Amino acid sequence: MIKKERLIWIYTKMNEIRKFEEKAWKLFEENKLRGSVHLYIGEEAIAATVCSLLTDADYITSTHRGHGHGIAKSGDIKSAMAELMGKETGFCKGRGGSMHIADLEKGNLGANAIVGGGIPIAVGGALAAQLKGTDQVSVSFFGDGASNQGTFHESLNLASVWKLPAIFICENNQFAISVPVAQSTSVKDISVRSKGYDMPGYTVDGNDVLAINEAMEKAIKRAKKGGGPTLIECKTYRWKGHWTGDPEIYRSREEVAEWIEKCPIKRLRKHMIDEKIASAKELDAIEAKAQADVDEATQFALNSPEPDTAKVMDDVFFEELGGAV
Amino acid sequence: MANRVIMPKQGLQMTEGTIIKWFIEEGSEVKEGTPLFEMETDKLTIQIDAPASGKLLKIVRQEDETVPITELIAIIGEEGEDFSNLLNKNEHQSAPEQTDVPKVAKDENQKIFEVVTNSKRIFISPRAKMIAQQNGVDFSKVLGTGQQGYIIEKDIKNYIEYSAKGTPLAKKLASMNDVEINQLQGSGSRNKIVKEDILKYVAEKNRGTTDSEGVIIPFAGMRKIISERMVESLHTAAQATHHIKVDMSEASSLKASFKKADKRVSYNDIIAFSVCRSLIDYPIMNSELTEQGILLKDYVNLGIAVAVENGLIVPVIKDAELMTIEEIGIMTRELATKAKNGQLKPDEYKGGSFTISNLGMFGLDAFTAIINRPESGILAVGKIEKASVVIHDEIVIRPMMVLTLTYDHRVVDGAPAAQFLAAVKKYLEQPYLLL
Amino acid sequence: MSKKTYAMAIRDCIAEEMRKDSNIFIMGEDIAEQGGIFSCTRGLLEEFGPELVRNTPISENSFVGAGIGAACAGLRPIVELMYMDFVYVAMDQLLNQAAKIRYMFGGKAKVPLVIRGQQGIGRGNAGQHSQSVEALFMHIPGLKVALPSTPADAAGLLRTAIRDDNPVMFFEHKALYATKGEVPDDEDFAIPFGQANVIKQGTDATIVATLYYVDKALKAAEILEKEGISCEVIDPRTIVPLDIDTIIGSVEKTGRLIIVHEAHKTGGVGAEIASQVTENAFMYLDAPPQRLGAKQCTLPFNLGLENAVIPQIEDIVKAVKKTTYK
Repeated sequence: MIKKERLIWIYTKMNEIRKFEEKAWKLFEENKLRGSVHLYIGEEAIAATVCSLLTDADYITSTHRGHGHGIAKSGDIKSAMAELMGKETGFCKGRGGSMHIADLEKGNLGANAIVGGGIPIAVGGALAAQLKGTDQVSVSFFGDGASNQGTFHESLNLASVWKLPAIFICENNQFAISVPVAQSTSVKDISVRSKGYDMPGYTVDGNDVLAINEAMEKAIKRAKKGGGPTLIECKTYRWKGHWTGDPEIYRSREEVAEWIEKCPIKRLRKHMIDEKIASAKELDAIEAKAQADVDEATQFALNSPEPDTAKVMDDVFFEELGGAV
Repeated sequence: MANRVIMPKQGLQMTEGTIIKWFIEEGSEVKEGTPLFEMETDKLTIQIDAPASGKLLKIVRQEDETVPITELIAIIGEEGEDFSNLLNKNEHQSAPEQTDVPKVAKDENQKIFEVVTNSKRIFISPRAKMIAQQNGVDFSKVLGTGQQGYIIEKDIKNYIEYSAKGTPLAKKLASMNDVEINQLQGSGSRNKIVKEDILKYVAEKNRGTTDSEGVIIPFAGMRKIISERMVESLHTAAQATHHIKVDMSEASSLKASFKKADKRVSYNDIIAFSVCRSLIDYPIMNSELTEQGILLKDYVNLGIAVAVENGLIVPVIKDAELMTIEEIGIMTRELATKAKNGQLKPDEYKGGSFTISNLGMFGLDAFTAIINRPESGILAVGKIEKASVVIHDEIVIRPMMVLTLTYDHRVVDGAPAAQFLAAVKKYLEQPYLLL
Repeated sequence: MSKKTYAMAIRDCIAEEMRKDSNIFIMGEDIAEQGGIFSCTRGLLEEFGPELVRNTPISENSFVGAGIGAACAGLRPIVELMYMDFVYVAMDQLLNQAAKIRYMFGGKAKVPLVIRGQQGIGRGNAGQHSQSVEALFMHIPGLKVALPSTPADAAGLLRTAIRDDNPVMFFEHKALYATKGEVPDDEDFAIPFGQANVIKQGTDATIVATLYYVDKALKAAEILEKEGISCEVIDPRTIVPLDIDTIIGSVEKTGRLIIVHEAHKTGGVGAEIASQVTENAFMYLDAPPQRLGAKQCTLPFNLGLENAVIPQIEDIVKAVKKTTYK
């Protein structure tokens, strides 16, 4: 059971993410964004639900498809949009871009453009938590493709052997760019791999907030008790191509349409209305606000200054000697 | 258009030449390609052809004059042409560019850096170039010792040290007397700083000051050796002297005859020749006191004393008694040059049997020389000067010269020594007796 | 001052720093009970316990990554790579993550991580256990790189590395572990990065050398001294940041530069130094800079072959003479 407050939070986040991604898509088409964006549309439930159970002190690492995690974890849409536009006011002062949104103050140890690159880092966060003796948890978001990368296996093993408070969230959206999961992955349900590393593994409907929540709550409990890591596979689907401009030759329009029907936002809305947790009006208002926030963020980003090229070499290194004594 | 006739560079290391003879008189016609004059360097004597046809309008430098290469020596042109502008342009052109790379002497102290390139590209290391520019060195004049003639730092530094500044002795003096050699002007050839410059500088500096006693010059090396040998000579041999006056008129005529016959012969050569002949007549003067006894040598190795910067050295003409006057002359000049350049090999200054020393050029009437051990005699030659003499009870003017013989009285007594000296006089005054 | 081995100096420095800062922990293969296969962590497990002195599984990419994550989360990990040859397994984490996190995240992250390990020849370990890889980490921005050649340098540079809030690649040398030297007892003795050490002064040629070749360079200098060539020997100690000013100052004095290192000559650190000196001090050069390094060949197992690949002392001597046109 999820308290109303949290459900509202989740719903808000999901809408923010949805509107943000739709806006990003549009901005890209209008040539206002550099590079490419990898849209999270259709997968919002995972980021929102997982992050609803985390505090600012908990850690996450994310992926190239990280806008959702970034917004859900740090809540700062303006900085996210500004970063997509490469502006000085972005999360990373324009140095990182879409694929590298990070907010260390809010525990986001960064989105990673290397598939599987963020998994060991999240393990590091868990290691720190263990060493510091806190009850922080560290969550790694990654995709089905990453589950075949060496780092996935190494990280699961490491976290398990050291009993780290790590939670591995595999967002199985069925495709690694154009390669269907069946073609590349030796198992149907990625969660079975947890057995190889002596930890619980769950496969859940990634579009079902409640299902994700249930698995996540278990995982957090286990982690905080010192029980070690958990692997949660969330089966989901991305509505758009791998990246903006993907011709999507690897799947049919019908298939996409099917999954659009299963939209997680629609689902949660229905649930909340059906269970009388919130009214349609309330939810409309949330949607509208989300849109307004995204619009505002877009304006903010558009109006923000470009980074100063004279400072391009800043922050390669941290200049003062930190450390002990 | 008038033509300049210059002293042409002939030998690779030629820096100056002496005009021996003009074949054409001033004002006469001259044809291009025909002999115009003869000149001599320390290495060779050569005839130079006229570079153009026309009239020899002016002979600017005369016979016996020594002229640096490329300087103006004559003008050829049309009768009545105005060539005054050419005369003004005479002075001190820099040496013409050469296309061949000169040999570099092996001796570290005597590297000769001559002009190296014409339009050929000069390869020089950046550092060497920097040092050259800092020191105002024209590196086109420097020979490179890096691969393929690459000029490197060391070459520039050597050039600065050895060709622009001072002689080794001058440098030594400078360091002994705390003189910054770089700030002096040199009076030697190519502005080299020589010993005298240092001495003069120090004297000037010390004038009027109370805290210096004078100049210290080194007492080492050649100076020390000479000192030891002089002392040893005086302590060992019983040295006595004879003087004689010689009328050099006949010798003078002889010299002129040679000249007419295009042979170059100097007074020294004639004196040397006469001495050789006299030594054959009086071998006791050409002897050496050995443990076995007095060795009368059957060869004359004639030493000709030469003053050099560091002191004095006596190169030896081997078997001089077998040579003609001209040959003696050639050998003398060659050895003297080598001596001045510090290029004498040991066998060129050892093994002498008799020595002649001439200080006449300094205006000395006469002087006493110290025997050059282990020889038994040394002849000191004074200047030739016109003097009034009485001949046949009449006062006439003759070129007179005083010879002073120092002889080793252990070996030779006064009478034989006198006879020897008289023989020398005889040959000089009656040269036909030499035939 | 105490006389210590290079390995001891490293060990003592880690222990001293760990005593002062509980955020420092160390992990790597066989570093706990074993004390590290080169004894650089001997006794640390006993003093600090298994939480702070951890054996890792053989999974360099992930335990380096874990180090990165822990560093981002505020700790100060020291990760030991048993052989720097294994760094390739962790290249993504090092070059794509650790090196870039600070910059890519707009200066808002710190990665106070030390990756230390040994490299080089000396034990007949063949091609995959004898490499010198520092050049790779000079090329990609974001990592500092230190190469100590003596026990004192090891202690001083390691302290700076640990206290630095940036990721540092700390290259030790297997053949240097047993060398002894005087090390200051001061527990704050630290050598700043970017400060080259002019070990021997000279006037005719500048030899720049790292790690195992510092000693060889000094020996070559001795030989050359007898032939009247006075060499200045410089150990840069860190190549990122590189104290190029000291090297340039030396070349301005001597006019000749020879760089020697164990790593391959092509694309090695020597190439970078030679280029920087040529760009900045061209007119001071009397000869082109000479670089010495291993031939473009995988290091062979056979000792004779190995010696044929890596520079020898006489090669250094020859190279110096070449610059003097002797």
